[in-house]
Amino acid sequence: MMHKNTLIGLVIVAMLAAAAYLATGAETRDASPAADSGTADSTVCIYPKEYMQTHHMQVLADWKEHAAHEGPDAFMKTPDGRRFQKDLATCLGCHDNNRFFCFSCHNYANVKPNCWNCHISPQDLP
Amino acid sequence: MRKAGLGLIAGLGAASGILSNPLFERVSASAWASSPKQPGRRWGMVIDTRRCPEGCTTCLDACRRSHNVPTFSDPRRQVEWIHKEDGRALLGTACATKQAIPALCNHCAEPSCVRACPTDSIFRRKDGIVAIDYHRCIGCRSCMLACPYGEVSFNWSDPRPAIKEPTPEYPTREQGVVEKCSFCSDRLKKGLEPSCSSQCPEGAMTFGDLNDPKSAVSRLLGSNETMRRKPELGTEPSVFYII
Ligand code: SF4
Ligand code: SF4
Repeated sequence: MMHKNTLIGLVIVAMLAAAAYLATGAETRDASPAADSGTADSTVCIYPKEYMQTHHMQVLADWKEHAAHEGPDAFMKTPDGRRFQKDLATCLGCHDNNRFFCFSCHNYANVKPNCWNCHISPQDLP
Repeated sequence: MRKAGLGLIAGLGAASGILSNPLFERVSASAWASSPKQPGRRWGMVIDTRRCPEGCTTCLDACRRSHNVPTFSDPRRQVEWIHKEDGRALLGTACATKQAIPALCNHCAEPSCVRACPTDSIFRRKDGIVAIDYHRCIGCRSCMLACPYGEVSFNWSDPRPAIKEPTPEYPTREQGVVEKCSFCSDRLKKGLEPSCSSQCPEGAMTFGDLNDPKSAVSRLLGSNETMRRKPELGTEPSVFYII
């Protein structure tokens, strides 16, 4: 019982933190140098792991909108000052080192997101 | 319909007095810059048709390769981001050349496709690129009807098997969505020029910022008489042709 409460607490904290990032205007306007996207620090994910596990769909939906509409100006800044280009390629830049990264959970949960109808999945690559 | 900064009357149309709109225009960079249709950048292209040899398809192939554009043999199902068409058919009878010249989405400043789209899938970015958010497109094809240039294509069937030379660098589309030229917004993001203009062996295509008086496109527009496709419609294309 105790355990469950701590877990819920953690999730709430993570959600609040995420809401705070969004509220402070995660995407910066000062735009562009494309070089930035290449130099993103990839040692930690953009949000805490627990938050990403439960909310990656919302994060991806937000990135998708911004990437499609703002193109090169679609940046996200994490509170510790790292800048990420909002682009699926940014995610895959780290996560394609495991070809089953998306698929093992999705298969287990039997969810069928339609991302890979168009985007090239790591599994399609040799 | 004539906008400030555009259109010193010249050329056949005006000389014959038949048409009220200038068919040829001379864009003065300073006038353009002093009354931009939008602040900031506006990507555009100038195509010098005199340099474009008959039979060359380098730009078309480069485009197909870099964006996973499918090749369907049935002409009614063709998907094209850029194609070559008879100059007269494209630019009207004032165009002296009957040679096939490249045609692509004009990234209009007043795009009728954008007005027609019920889901806001096609929209005009602040850098002037008319882009499609393929995630949102419901395939109603209103944009195809609205575009006066026929520059939007529809995927009647799954495009993936029809891609001749797939590249992992760019996504594909799926059945039931439209697609068109994106001015290579993906390449611009990386600081590269569009595939077509960067690979043209004759240097016939010049890409750049129309609002920057010092850009190569502005210089070309200032020193040449140019034509745009169907200027009388008021869509304000960003693609110019030197005949
Ligand atoms: S050429 Fe057609 S598709 Fe392109 S912006 Fe103009 S109206 Fe839209
Ligand atoms: S086909 Fe797609 S992009 Fe075109 S008008 Fe319909 S929803 Fe918009």
